Order: sequence, then structure tokens, then C-alpha cells
Amino acid sequence: MSDIPYKDKGSILRPLKALSFFARKPVTEPFEPRPAADSYRGFHVNDWEKCIGCSTCQKVCDNAAITMVRIPGLPEDPVLGIRNERPAIDYGRCCWCGLCVDICPTGSISLTTEYVHICREDELDSYFILPDPNGMHGEHFSKGWDKTEDADLVDLQQQPMGEVEAEQRIDNFDEMINGFTSQQAIIEASRCVQCGMCHDSCPTHMNAPEYIRAIWEGNAEEAVRQIYRTNPFSHVCGRVCTRRCETACSIGRRGDPVAIRWLKRYAMDAVSDERTREIAAEDKVDYVSGKKIAIIGAGPAGLTAAFDLVKKGHEVTVFEALDKPGGMTRYGIPEYRLPYDRLDADVEVITSLGVTIRYNTRIGRDVSMADLEREHDAVVVAIGLQEGRSTRIPGSDHKQVKKAVSLLRKITQGKTFDVPRTAVVIGGGNVAMDIARSLARLQKQQYGEVGMTVAALEDFDHFLADPEEITESREEGILILDSRGPKQVIVDKGKLTGLVTLGVISIFDEDGRFAPRYEERDEQIHPAEMVIESIGQMTDVSLFGDELTERLEWNRGRLKVDENGHTSEAWLWSAGDMVFGPDVVHAVADGHRVAASIEAYFTSVEVSQ
Amino acid sequence: MSKELNIWLDDLLNDIESVRFKRKSSRRVRVDVGSEALPALLELLQGRASYVHLSAITCVDWIDDDEFELVYHVWSYETRSLVSAHTRVPRDPGVYLSIYDLYQPAAFFERDIHEMFGLYFEGSPDMEKFILTEWNGPPPMRKDFDGEAFVNQNFHWEQYHPQWLKDIEEEGGGITTRPEDVR
Amino acid sequence: MRPENYQARNQPPSNEFELNFGPNHPGIEGNYAFRVKLNGDEVLSARADAGYLHRGFEKLMEGRLWIQNIALVPRICVPDPVPMEVCYSLAVEELCGLEVPERAQWIRVMQLEMSRLAAHLFAFGGHAATTGMYTPMFWGVADRDLILDRFEELTGGRVYSIYNIPGGVRREVPDGFLERLGSLLDYLESRLPDYDNLFFTNQVFIKRARDVGTITQEQALKWGVTGPNLRATGLEFDVRRDDPYLVYDQIEFDIPTEPGGDALSRNLVRRSELKQSIRILRQVIDRLPSIQGSIRCPIPNPLAWNVPAGESYARVESSKGELAYYVVSTGGDKPYRVHVRGPSSMHAVQVLENLAVGCRLEDIAQIMFSLDACPPEVDR
Repeated sequence: MSDIPYKDKGSILRPLKALSFFARKPVTEPFEPRPAADSYRGFHVNDWEKCIGCSTCQKVCDNAAITMVRIPGLPEDPVLGIRNERPAIDYGRCCWCGLCVDICPTGSISLTTEYVHICREDELDSYFILPDPNGMHGEHFSKGWDKTEDADLVDLQQQPMGEVEAEQRIDNFDEMINGFTSQQAIIEASRCVQCGMCHDSCPTHMNAPEYIRAIWEGNAEEAVRQIYRTNPFSHVCGRVCTRRCETACSIGRRGDPVAIRWLKRYAMDAVSDERTREIAAEDKVDYVSGKKIAIIGAGPAGLTAAFDLVKKGHEVTVFEALDKPGGMTRYGIPEYRLPYDRLDADVEVITSLGVTIRYNTRIGRDVSMADLEREHDAVVVAIGLQEGRSTRIPGSDHKQVKKAVSLLRKITQGKTFDVPRTAVVIGGGNVAMDIARSLARLQKQQYGEVGMTVAALEDFDHFLADPEEITESREEGILILDSRGPKQVIVDKGKLTGLVTLGVISIFDEDGRFAPRYEERDEQIHPAEMVIESIGQMTDVSLFGDELTERLEWNRGRLKVDENGHTSEAWLWSAGDMVFGPDVVHAVADGHRVAASIEAYFTSVEVSQ
Repeated sequence: MSKELNIWLDDLLNDIESVRFKRKSSRRVRVDVGSEALPALLELLQGRASYVHLSAITCVDWIDDDEFELVYHVWSYETRSLVSAHTRVPRDPGVYLSIYDLYQPAAFFERDIHEMFGLYFEGSPDMEKFILTEWNGPPPMRKDFDGEAFVNQNFHWEQYHPQWLKDIEEEGGGITTRPEDVR
Repeated sequence: MRPENYQARNQPPSNEFELNFGPNHPGIEGNYAFRVKLNGDEVLSARADAGYLHRGFEKLMEGRLWIQNIALVPRICVPDPVPMEVCYSLAVEELCGLEVPERAQWIRVMQLEMSRLAAHLFAFGGHAATTGMYTPMFWGVADRDLILDRFEELTGGRVYSIYNIPGGVRREVPDGFLERLGSLLDYLESRLPDYDNLFFTNQVFIKRARDVGTITQEQALKWGVTGPNLRATGLEFDVRRDDPYLVYDQIEFDIPTEPGGDALSRNLVRRSELKQSIRILRQVIDRLPSIQGSIRCPIPNPLAWNVPAGESYARVESSKGELAYYVVSTGGDKPYRVHVRGPSSMHAVQVLENLAVGCRLEDIAQIMFSLDACPPEVDR
């Protein structure tokens, strides 16, 4: 029973109580719109400097109110993950829920405390607005619903990647990265907002949003299918890709980017090699074209071109000077980063489609270019950069001064050499790290301790090698010195005893040309039994022979090709590191480009006949 | 007391044949029962186990199985627990029995399901249209009715073309992705 | 019914009339109608006519991501939107096995009771208007507006707060909010005697509302009556206590009942509930600062959120009665089926049709408002 005295009829004078209300302040509302609360969800503003045009707001909008508009003049850079698009909002549909704010990867969009807009029927166009920092009517209103840590719907943290501890990995070449478990992969894949910045930045435009989504859906086979649409070096790229995609990733704007490379690796590892071969063969044509193509060099560029061309029904033969395929991915990348059986799996996919690889066949020695030209409809040269460059400092002609690429090749081939107890690497790129870490492992195996120094020209803020490489190298006991320029190799009685370096003042001159300047007084001596030069590579073009070299066009010692890798000879293309650099995924992209160019060439020849 | 009643209910349900029974929590029970046995089960729940309140009847269209699932949520004020009785009936011909005799609120739910899913309840007091009085299309809650496609066919979206957009188009820009492209 | 489809029927001369009551009528809540058969001004029968507010919420929800639906559900009931958000979130949380942090649960209770206060102020104001008293309506709406101010401050939206998401709530409580809420409660409590004087002990109201639309407890159980309307028949039942959710089991409150079962009792129950809600909110204000921690458990990226397959039935006590969501997931990024069980789908249809028989025409509006029927819950 309620305590309200409704049964009490009260006094007859009770209505007079109402008179007391004359003394009360009436409820009034001001004529002007009253100021909204601090976190009010009013009209949008968008910070165009922060906005990258990723269109995630459009995807989360539950009322289909957001349209993406391309605005010329705004910055556009696929490599950095910036599009010149900005969201426009239809206030006929928007419900001001603010989900666009909560999910915005950059935090550029927010709602304001402005909430009044009035228009006549013929001004309905004013419902469609392009939010900029100035607000809907150009009047300043303070921000209302804005990005906060509580409300953020973007998961900024990557799934941790397990790796073998330094002590366990330093005396062997076993793979050091564990890879994601399926649970981790699904969680990591679910962080993706499907903006496609990764696709735009990837040299070979991998369908990363699609394969990430497939992984999230638990369908690794579909992920592999999506991966194979653009990249037959998937195990390789899943492990050692330079992953421009992750630089462009919009989630990386405020947090860790999605671990796209590790997700690719997960998908490739989750599907059996046999099934992968079946998936890769799905779009192979079922006829034979009758065209014959020779490819020189079984590296990523050459084999990718072979992969594309064999699927079009052409007969493809790859000529490889060494006894195993893979080129730099095998002979340049140490096995702890890329196990050879994974590389073999990638190559087997390509050979299973019908590509023939002739090993130990050096063009120019075993077979001449003229033979190739005569017997094939098209020839692709993709021999890479197999020779190391020299610093040419005094003493660099000593036999204990080695080139990083040659030494790495030796280690891969299992050839024995005298492992130095101490060694200095000149250079600061990933190759320098590879040779330093490989030698460190051999040192540990043979002598029980590591004696490696890396001397790089660049300072740590501008280091060329990946940050993880530096961290991991240090964990393995390698000393890394920045801003050191090589002066001379110390040779005492014919025996190499060390390297002298100078402090670096600057690396480039005013015109941006490479011209390092050193501080002569800042001299250091690094005792070592071996000095390894890792300052870049070049290619050996002797395979062309004098007559063809004469006919071809050259550009400052480099073979001249058009944007599709076509040389001045109609039957000859070139791909990969020798014409375009600098890494596996670029080589893959180049392989596709050349294959497409050859295909177009065949078509044009047919048409003209 | 209610705990004992719950145990008693568990025993009772376990004894009935063709009933699959799952206790989800102390106050939630899921029962799966054949469509022929459902009215008897509800009668039992109401008459002998104090489940007097019909909270709702839900219909789910499992189009891939060609079946409608009916879920009867009944609540007992005494045991303070909710039994959700699930049963399935074929989508075609889409006829089932009304439980109006047991639970009067069923009238609303059955009428609603008939209107939205096209499942007819024999013995229900009123199977007339209620909400969709002027609708001649298929029962809209069926999975094979695409509401968004219907809207796009029958209504037009406002085609805005404000000055700022014209300016951008003049400079060579313009709309790249419309919201309908990403749905 | 569209005007072009309306045709006057020729009927034999009699005292019986058929009257379309609504959908645009001051005595109707929302857009809703009754086809009333009258003999003089005595109602012979009444048939509910819904559909004027049908927006196909349940269908729409099947086409939207799990998180997108939070912007949709509050629209099902304008006067009392928060229970819709919370109930939907509870159902999804049960499917996902999400543990909502305790702080978020208290914040949810706070909003639910604020919403209940606002809805009850709206409800009896409406009822007063049907008996010709407009002042309580103005007062009720003006005081409700003060609650909406607090909603605006807390959630960024006045009516559709869109503040609860599966996993918790979207934002931390602003600094000083609880103090401001506290002074609002003081103000509202000081208003209760005014409301009593003006309305609840007003003989105009009492005489109009007594013995109108009487439901016996037996009828109430048979017809599926819930909420304050059920408690007005003397049955002490409240989902908050008897099927507890959130942290209601840690809160002290009474469940007001009235024995009468008529329109008067129903309003008195709501009036008593105003006091209980204030009491609950005071406990929240006391407890909330001591409950630290996050306001949301981690949820997946909303664009890639697959909710595990299964079904869940979540119930809450809204200001109008038992509100329930039945949610089915097949493991996808969108619900497979969402069924909204609004209390008004009983009260505004079957109960009203039954109660109208034999009453006078002018009481239909009163009965409807005394049941606090919310037509969009019927139409969805």
C-alpha cells in the first residue's frame, strides 16, 4: 500500500494551496539554442591533416550516411597510407551515434556541440556536408563527442609474436620466429578495418584485406587463394617481406599496425603444401599456347614471371647457374629467418605447374644468349645483384676482406671456411645484419663466444636495417656502432688485424649526393681477423656477350628497360633486382609486370600477323 | 523452495520422452521438443509446474533447413525461472497449433508471427492482419525477403549535389565510394 | 489505414457507432488507433489497430553489424529508451560470454533508473492530460527535461543516449556528474509533494480514475500483464528483484504494490516507484565512486565481430513492464534473429481491448495512459 494520502479528501480550502505557486519561478527556456553538454553528439568536424581517407567511418556507419569524396590537391601517398579522400555526411541519414568517432583509426573525426541547422525545402543540398575542421556553418563550436581511450573501438595492440630466446638461438640456424597460433591469428586478423591501404602500398598489390578477412573467418584455404592471386613467393614473403603494407596500415597511425606479414605466414603454414599447389593451379588455362619462354635466374622475379606465364599455357624453362632455386632468398637470407624447406615449398608450387628449371646452367658459358634467342619466343633476364661492392679503402684488397653476399652464399652452400674469432662488418643494412648474425652463430658454434662488430655510416635515427634486426642482433651479443665510416684495413705483416673507422659528420652533400664527411680526430680501431663489406651489390652482365651488349641500350652501366622491363631488343625482357630494386616483394611485382608485358607482346604480334 | 522445485522440474523434464533438456543457469532452462509434443509440454508446465506467464513466442526462420523454429518462453512466478521450449515446424505448409487455450497472450504473438513469417496457427482467435494492414508482399520477416532491396526499389534516395561538391568536381575530384557500395 | 482506403459503411440505423479512435488523437499515445464500437458513449468492443509506427526494427537488425544495432534499439521506445540498449547488450553479452565490469553495471543501473524516472514523469503527465489536467503534464515534461540534461551530460544524447554497448558503456562518467545528479534528485524529491497535491491526491483525478479499467490479479496473470500494471493488482513481482540482472541484487529497494487493479492504483504504483528510483539512484551515487576499474571489457573490432552461435533471452524491468530480447546468432557478424518482447505488446492490445468493453468512450484514453502503453513496442 502506498503512503500517498489519496484517500484523504482534505480541507475545502486545499485548492487555495495553488496560490503559493504564484511565488515560484516559472520554467523558461531561452530563445537561443542552449549550449550543449561537453560530450554532446552534434555535427561532425574532421581534421583534414589527420584524416587519411581510409573510409573506416563509412564501414561502421549504421545508416549508410557516409560517402567518400576524392579531393584533388590533398596529399596522396600509397606508400605512407594516405588517400586524398574525405568523408562527406548525409544528415538526412545520420543518427549521431558517434560510432564513426569511436572507430576512426586516426582520431581525426569528432562530433561538436553544434546542433542547429535550418533550411528550406529547396536547400536540401545543405544536408549533405563535407566536415572540415571549421564546422558545418564555419562557426566555432567546441568539440563534443571526441575520441577517448574508453570509447576507442580500435584495438591498438598487436598480438605478441613468440620467438626463440637469444641463448637458445645463437648457436644454430633454426627458425627463430614461432608464428601465430590459430587463435592469435584470428584475433590479429580481426583487428583489421579493411581499409585497403596495405593493398595500395604493396608493390605487387597483394589482396591483404581479403586474405586477412578469410583468416578471421577461419578459412585459411581462402586466404591462400587470395594470396596466390598476386604472390607465388608467399612463404618467403610471409617471413622476410619488407612489409610496406604495415607502414601504410591505418591502425598503425596510433598503435601497432596489423601484423600482415605474420598473418600471411600463418595462412601459408596452416594449409598443406599439397593443397597449396592445388589452389595455385586453379586458374591455370587448360590449353597449350605453343610459345616458348626462357628465363635466366631462378630468383623471385624470374620464377614469378615463370609462374604467370606457365599459367597462360606457355612452355617456360628457367636457367639457373647454381644448383638450387631461390636466388637471393636462398643465398642471401640466412636460414634462421627463412627455412629452406619453406622456400622449396614456394618453388615446388611453381614447378608443379609445369615450369622446368635447369640448374647448374650458366648462360654465357653453358648456353649462349644467341641460342636462347633462337630457340625461344621471349627471354627474360632476372639474374639479380650477385656481386658485392667494395669500399676500396686501403687494405680492402686483402684476402680476409670479404663481401657479405659471397660469404652468405658460402654459408648457405655449406662450404667450409675459416670462421674468424672476431670480425667487423662495414654497412648498416639488413644484409650487414644477416652476415653479422650468421657469422655470430658460427662463432658461437666453433668458439663458444661471439665476436662481431657492425660499423654503419648512418646514425640510429636513420638506420637502414629494421629495428627488430638491431634489437635481435644486440640480444645475440653483436656490437653495433652507428655513424662510423671506414678509413682503412689494418694489415700487419700480411695478416689482417683490424679496421680503422672515423666518426661521421654527414653522409650526403647539399645536392643530396652520396659524399660522406668524417671527423678525422674521432678515430677508432676495431681489432678483427676479418672485415666484411656490406655496402651494396651489383650485377655481372658478362652473360650477354660482346655482340649483344653492343646492341642493347644502357643507362650508366645499367641495362635500360621500359616501365614493363622490356629492353631495346623485342625478344628480351629484364626483371628483378638487376633493373628494379630492392627486395623480394618488388622482385615479385616486377616478375608479374614482365609476364604481363610478354603476354601483351604475344597478343600484339598475333594481331599484326 | 524454489530450488527444490527446480530439481523436481529437472526430473520431470528428464522423464518425458522426445524432450531434450538443458539447464543453462539457475533461472534459464532450454527444452527442445517435437512439435507434436509441445502443447502437452506447455500444459504440463503451466498446470503442474506453475509456469503461468507466457513471456513471448519467438519465430526464427531457418530457411536452409526449410523450417520455422518456435520458441515459447514461459516464466514461473513461483520457481522464478524461465523455460524456453524450442520446437520446429516445416516452413511448408506453415501451419501449427495455437496455444491460446493455455496462454491468452499467445493471441498477439501468434498473430504477429502469422503476419511476419506467414506461419498459420490453427485455433488462434485472430489471424487477421494487424501491423501490415496495407502490405501485399510476402511475409517480410522471412529470410528470403530482402528488405533493403525492397527499399532501394521502391524509394528514392535524395540526390544531393551541393555547391562544394560541384567545386570539387570541377577540380577533377568527386564521389568515389557511395555508402551503398560498401554494404 | 490510409484515407483513400477508407470507405464509409452503410449500416442499418441503430444507436451503434463505429469510431476510429486515433491514429492522430490527443488521447492516444503515439501513433496508434482503436476501432471502437459504441452504443451511445458506452464501448461495446474495441479493436487495436497498429502499424502506424512500424519500422521493421527486427528485420533491420538482421542486416546490421552487432554494434550498429545499439544505435537502432533505443528508437523502439522513445519515452524509455535505455532498457532497450541494456537489454540488447545483455543478450549479446550472454552469447559472447562477456564479463561486464562492475563499474559499468552500476552505471547501467544509474541510467536505467534515470530513464525510469523520466518515463514515469512522462506517463502520469500524460494520464493527467487525459483527465483534462494539463498542468501535471507540463510539470512532468519540464522535470523530465532536467533528467534529459543529465543524460546529455553523461551520454552525449538527450533521448537516444546510445551509451550502452555489448561489454559495458561507452564513456566514463564526467567529473562532478554524480553531485549534479544528486542535486537533481533532491529537487525531484522536493517536487513529489507538489505532484501529490496537484495530481495524486486531487479528487478530480481520483474520482475519474478509481474503478476504471480494473484488472484483477487473476486476469492480470492470464493476460500477461507485467510491470507496474501487475503490481497494481497486488502481486509483488519485479524482474529487478526476482530475476536479477546487473547489480540489482546489491541494491535495496521496495516493490510498491496496490490492491485495486484500477487506473488509480496503476498511477499510485508509478508514483511510489518514483521514490524508489530516487532511492536506488542515491545508492548508486554512494557506491559508484568506490567501484573503480574499467567501464567496458575488451570487445573485438566491431567490423570483424563474430558472435558465437547460440541464443539468449535477456529480460529487464522497463518502466512499462517486462522487456525481453531474444537474440539468435549463427556465428556471423550480424544477428540472425532479434525478437523484441515489449510489455506494451500485451498492454496496448489484448489488455486494452478487454478493459475497454463496457467502459465509457472518454475513459479509453485514460485506460491506455494508465497502462502506460507504448505503441512502438507493439509495432517495432
